[in-house]
Amino acid sequence: MTRRSEAGRTAREVDGSGVAEALSRGPGRLLIAVYGVFALAATARAVFQIATKFSEAPLAYTLTAIAALVYVFATVSLSRSGPRWFWLSFAAVGLEFIGVLAVGTLSIVDPVLFPADTVWSVYGRGYGFVPLILPVLGLWWLYRHRAVARVS
Amino acid sequence: MVVDGFFVAGTVVCLVSTVLCVGAAILRQPPNDVTILAVAAVELFLLVYLVAGIIRQAGGDPVAGEVWEFWGYLLTALLIPVGAFWWAILERSRWSNLVLGAVGATIFVMLFRMEQIWHGVVPA
Repeated sequence: MTRRSEAGRTAREVDGSGVAEALSRGPGRLLIAVYGVFALAATARAVFQIATKFSEAPLAYTLTAIAALVYVFATVSLSRSGPRWFWLSFAAVGLEFIGVLAVGTLSIVDPVLFPADTVWSVYGRGYGFVPLILPVLGLWWLYRHRAVARVS
Repeated sequence: MVVDGFFVAGTVVCLVSTVLCVGAAILRQPPNDVTILAVAAVELFLLVYLVAGIIRQAGGDPVAGEVWEFWGYLLTALLIPVGAFWWAILERSRWSNLVLGAVGATIFVMLFRMEQIWHGVVPA
């Protein structure tokens, strides 16, 4: 059973990356699950912060809300198939990567700008740096499945 | 950080669940009875924690921190094993066991935060 599925995988790889395999298969399932957890965590955090203490740090809490939207969108787009969703996933994960790098750097260079923590502060230190690793894995996963982008 | 029985029990359940699921994934197993029961155990713990929370809240040992933040965390946590189970069984591969393994790790982090809120610990 296990051996057969491994053989199947090898056959697909021998076939080259010309075969458009769904992004939500294999390791992709775990990637999407982790995106789902972050979508949930960031959304809950954003709702809580904006509802209770928005005036304390409007910029930080707005950024948490944007991060939440990006995670929710990436979770949905990665689990869909086809070239359209591939490019939307690429945009979402790319935006996430730029966001975590920009916010991470700004929060170190100018801490006054961020009196409260966001998901992306200090490259996601509050979340075990997963917010920094996740877009790298996401972009790598999309690159491996770049054949999906060519299928019309 | 106040360590109480709920925290110890929850940590053990989450840890055992994650170890079983990750172990099964390393052995290239698709989700089986053991890993599904391991995730069910996490859900069972959360249900016990929910009932105990209601009893404590009503019986004079209420949440010290933000009340609705605690219940928000708990109700969200209750959905995670169910969602992971649904997502994992759609594909019978070893990667699905890693999805199931992520449940224990996620619930542990959420339990840690719920315990902080319950005992009124302000995060650093």
